[in-house]
Amino acid sequence: MRKLLSLLLALVMALSLASALAESTVVGTPRNETLIVEMQTPTQTAGQFNPMMQGTNMGTGIQQLLWGNLFEIDTVKGEQFPSLAASFPVSNEDFTEHTIAIRQGIKWSDGVDFTAKDVHYTMNLMLTNPEAPSNGYYQQIFESIELVDDYTIKIVTKNSFPLLAESIGVLIWGNDLRVVPEHIYAQQENPLIFKDSNPVVTGPYTVKQYDELGNWILYELREDAQFSDVGVVTGMVPQAKYVLFQTFGDDATRTMTMLSNLVDIMVEVSPENWEVMQGNPNAAMWYPDYPYALFDDPCSKGISMNCSKAPFNDKNFRWGLALAMDFKEVSMNIFNGAGRASVLQIPATASMQELYYKPMEEWLENFELEDGYKPFNTNYAREMAEILGAQGIAMPDDDALLDDMFGIGCWKYDPEQATKLFIMAGLELKDGKWYFEGQPFQFTCNILADTEAQAGRGGQAAVDQWIKFGLDVTPVRMTNTQFSNANSLGEFDVGAYWPSCAIIRNLYRQINGWDGDLIKPIGERSSGGNGERLNSPALTAKIHELAGYSSQDERSYQTSTEILKIFVEEMPFIGFHSGTKFVPTNNTYWTNYPSSENPYNGPWWWWSAFKYIVPHITPVN
Amino acid sequence: MKAWKFIGLRLITWALVIFIGVTFVFFIPRMFPSDPVENMISRMTALSGSMDAIQVEALRRQLRVQFGLEGTLWEQYTTYLREGLFGFNFGPSLMNYPTPVGEIIARYLPYTLFLSVTAVIIAWTLGNLIGLLAGFRKDKRLSKILEGIAITIYPVPYFIVALVLQIVFGFLLGWFPMTANIMTTADTGVFIASLLRNSLLPAISLLLVGTGWWIISMKSLSASVSEEDYVQYARYRGLSERRIGASYVLRNSILSQVTALALSLGGVFNGSLITEIIFNYPGVGKLIQQAILSSDYNMILGTITISIIAIATATLIADLIYPFIDPRIRYS
Repeated sequence: MRKLLSLLLALVMALSLASALAESTVVGTPRNETLIVEMQTPTQTAGQFNPMMQGTNMGTGIQQLLWGNLFEIDTVKGEQFPSLAASFPVSNEDFTEHTIAIRQGIKWSDGVDFTAKDVHYTMNLMLTNPEAPSNGYYQQIFESIELVDDYTIKIVTKNSFPLLAESIGVLIWGNDLRVVPEHIYAQQENPLIFKDSNPVVTGPYTVKQYDELGNWILYELREDAQFSDVGVVTGMVPQAKYVLFQTFGDDATRTMTMLSNLVDIMVEVSPENWEVMQGNPNAAMWYPDYPYALFDDPCSKGISMNCSKAPFNDKNFRWGLALAMDFKEVSMNIFNGAGRASVLQIPATASMQELYYKPMEEWLENFELEDGYKPFNTNYAREMAEILGAQGIAMPDDDALLDDMFGIGCWKYDPEQATKLFIMAGLELKDGKWYFEGQPFQFTCNILADTEAQAGRGGQAAVDQWIKFGLDVTPVRMTNTQFSNANSLGEFDVGAYWPSCAIIRNLYRQINGWDGDLIKPIGERSSGGNGERLNSPALTAKIHELAGYSSQDERSYQTSTEILKIFVEEMPFIGFHSGTKFVPTNNTYWTNYPSSENPYNGPWWWWSAFKYIVPHITPVN
Repeated sequence: MKAWKFIGLRLITWALVIFIGVTFVFFIPRMFPSDPVENMISRMTALSGSMDAIQVEALRRQLRVQFGLEGTLWEQYTTYLREGLFGFNFGPSLMNYPTPVGEIIARYLPYTLFLSVTAVIIAWTLGNLIGLLAGFRKDKRLSKILEGIAITIYPVPYFIVALVLQIVFGFLLGWFPMTANIMTTADTGVFIASLLRNSLLPAISLLLVGTGWWIISMKSLSASVSEEDYVQYARYRGLSERRIGASYVLRNSILSQVTALALSLGGVFNGSLITEIIFNYPGVGKLIQQAILSSDYNMILGTITISIIAIATATLIADLIYPFIDPRIRYS
């Protein structure tokens, strides 16, 4: 018995010692040299790093650290900048021929110079192979891609195409055109099924090791990182010798992982999880105090309406739905009031707030519905401050700061006006119940079941408000596929969708799907963007007009503004908040992450832009 | 001659079960209100904010052709029977195109088998031994204690056991990893050490609850057999309790446990989903879950077909070895 006890004690001590010595990561690298980033999902294609091969899970650090794009996005300014390209495309007068200068000085990780030949090879690979990413799109747009010299390519498009950089460069998350090395890929029998387990890249890191089961990938800093795309563009080299992308399982485990300092950067957590994570004094969020979250995710969340079904096809009815909701209560129910109100068809991110929201504030204030009613509430930020202040949360006194925190305003809560609009739309109110065309009026609201908490909570909050108003509405929770199918096929009444993304000043790429000419009947799949099937000739005409302007053309801004006004008049989507994200970081081993006090970039670890964040992150000691 | 008829009938049943099972598995996912192409597009759209309308249309056409969803349902079914069922070629995973389903399953299956088969066999052996003791020697103090433990553990859902183990030994004590990170590409020694270290908590969670069930079922069987006349007769003949336990009670109680073991072993191909999720353990359970959520028809077919074949084969083997365990079946 004594022997057994001694053995057990020795085992316990050995295990304790092992954990005490755990100043190394799970893959054996020194913890203080390894930046640990949460990987959103495990990859089932482990060891596959070829960006041209379909099924490569790009968000596992592959697009963030390895591969470069011609144009990247500055998420704070909302502007693209040339990355592998040296400058923006120079186009002829009718935008059919475009010349792009390629950046000099960049080397592949095997020491070979990166040149225009690589870009020419990659783009032609995409253009000529049906199995390549974006092949169908490239076939429709591009006539040819020609090599002019070692650092210049010429692109000929089939039609006038002023938005080339926006189409082949990163706007949100990433872009399919990730340039691969010609000297490696051209040697492969079929470069589209070449896994490329040991990739030669332009990014600052290479692959050191990976888990064949897809739970982690270890990246190592290139010895010549100064010649990587990031090194040449910024003159900076990352300080983390290793970056470990790792998955952590369910929410409870993720929280414990943050509390145990086993992760430095996480993707997104719920406010409830964040509350627990604050048990780690080194855990941080975008803001050090309330509202903690960042409001700059470039897709606002809210309620979409199916404009091809009665009575949702009547804008009076759609406006009635908007005014039947107390948005302050909706906001409190989503993330306890955290979020910047986004009444326009674009999110009120920091850049869009300055570009569109503030310049349009006066127009919004004076905007009238058909009966002369002015629906915009300019006092929303102050009302929210009062509600939250009463909860003991410190609020700024300054109006401008409050506008930045809660937005410049939102739609009023006016049940009386909503009732009037519903009656104008043909509904009848009898004995406290609503009828349409003689029948009791009922409708459903689609809500995504498991992911996108902000959208899901928003959908439920809207349903609660409408029920309180007296409408008979049922929330329908769906899987991701059911949810998107219903929208695409137009088989829904209303839903917590988000057809409301924007990141740069020219809105064409994000709103062209609303072109009325592309509308499909219910039951046929929509062409992206307009599952709501809004058919507005005025909007369609403006979208066609915008298609002819480059982003540098001032007219693109004016037309984009006019388009936003049409959206307000038509109200196919009731915007709630811009994308609100709780993305925690851990300052135990690494620091200087982007934050409200140091907003050199947005905390978009899963975007391609992460490679431009890593050089700023510094070790604590 | 009778033996051949016995084997032949069971082989026909085996083939029929598999055929009917895989036919269901082929058609049911296609009745889901979802579509792998649209799922892929929605995933890409969600990541990139929104996509150009022309780009979406082009991608939709491209993916339908690549995913082989262009033919009629009947054409797809006959192709599946020919290629999948008989050739074990399930085509590419639609969500990981063009990586073959077989390649992905082959990567995960060994870990599922290692975890689940080990847990099932250890739980079965331990549970039956303890159960036998508890049922056959039910008046002994040890039997009562062991039975008490089993009754306490068995009703606890295994994911609660898993969570408790994770919190205590992973988070609070830090002795074991909270989530599995196996060094799959390391040297053999490092790989085995990391496999054992990462599999221990998931295995214990399965083992504890599994053992509880085997104890309870075996205890009930052996208690009933112990009351049989032939056991009393053996006692009157003066046989030792050990011999009665091993040759009379165990042998007569174990029959239905063997069937249950065969089914459990066949079922391990489904993985242990909740354990895999809690410990982030790589396995077939999560593959099936993700395949269903993303309408990856080929992956659903691949994983479930293997599972159906495994369970049917395990049952067939149990049927075939029965006569060796129970002479009564052999004589009849």
